[in-house]
Amino acid sequence: MSSKNDKEEIAKEGLDNKNVDSEGFLRRLSDWSEDVAQELANQDGIKLSEEHWEVINVIRAYYAQYKISPITRTLVKVLKRELGDKVSSVYLMQLFSSKPAKLVSKIAGLPKPSNCD
Amino acid sequence: MKFSIAIYGGPNDSQAPLSALHFAKAVLSSGHTLYRVFFYNEAVVVANELMVAPQDELNLNQAWSEFSKNHDIDLVVCIASALRRGMLNESEANRYEKNNHNISPAFTVSGLGQLIDAGIQSDRLVSFGN
Amino acid sequence: MKTFLFVQHQAPHKNLVGQEGLDAVLMGSAFVNCTLLFMDDGVFQLLRSQNPDVIGRKNYPATYVALRDYGVDHIYCSVSSMDDRKVMREDLIIEHECLSDRAIASLFDTHDVILSF
Repeated sequence: MSSKNDKEEIAKEGLDNKNVDSEGFLRRLSDWSEDVAQELANQDGIKLSEEHWEVINVIRAYYAQYKISPITRTLVKVLKRELGDKVSSVYLMQLFSSKPAKLVSKIAGLPKPSNCD
Repeated sequence: MKFSIAIYGGPNDSQAPLSALHFAKAVLSSGHTLYRVFFYNEAVVVANELMVAPQDELNLNQAWSEFSKNHDIDLVVCIASALRRGMLNESEANRYEKNNHNISPAFTVSGLGQLIDAGIQSDRLVSFGN
Repeated sequence: MKTFLFVQHQAPHKNLVGQEGLDAVLMGSAFVNCTLLFMDDGVFQLLRSQNPDVIGRKNYPATYVALRDYGVDHIYCSVSSMDDRKVMREDLIIEHECLSDRAIASLFDTHDVILSF
């Protein structure tokens, strides 16, 4: 189990390969916090804005309820329902690069998708 | 007729991978074609190259590998099922930072999309196990 | 387009078959029309009052509720399997239609591909 100290250490010292794997995913999902999320986003050069956080919060709530992080195909559908028509695949790609589903999972501290799609 | 085979049962807790092999041979010897064999659930263990059988028993990994080589048949192992059971090829071993890999060269590691595709492309998808 | 019928036969946490069967449905929904049928012990997968987390199993049945986001709209349960196991409609976590054995037979007849778990 991760302690509060681990989270504080990540927020202060940044991520290293003790905390994240070779693809930048958290090794222990329990290490996640809002500060850690920004550290995870830094790996891909993303500064988290209000718009990013809206998406992250919806997807974390979706995972908590349904135990699945939406794949690219369903991501837009779910976000449209929760956040309205401003969401489109272009909108997501502007926020989270060309692979939004994978990157949202990474930054939101959700399980790493198996290389299935 | 174009067949595909889905195998779900494991080599030691079911007859599925062996029955499927007999069926696959019968498909080809009857002049039909075999589009794909997909290994899912416990059946992914058949791809384990480290399988060693006593000399007077059949080694299913070897038997399927030879079948694939002799007839140029696509053997596909589901990646998600394989990972859960410690079955990795070299690239997945690198991805998950493991030192070893154990999937025989005759088997391709791929996604579940290959099972759905087999159902779409074949006249018959025949399942073994479950 | 070919139609696929996915059949869940087995109880949820004794092995991985139910969970991996669900993975197959999720993947199938990207390519084909999917129908999902629960029969035999498979109806236990949908029980509301289960808490697999306490035995260290993932609560994957929660994902069945999200299937509408994946375009899987046809979900059926065998009424005789439910009756045999004293499972009531309101015990189950998802909207479903109950089918008689005769109706199930015609479901098997009218689908191109059957994947059974």
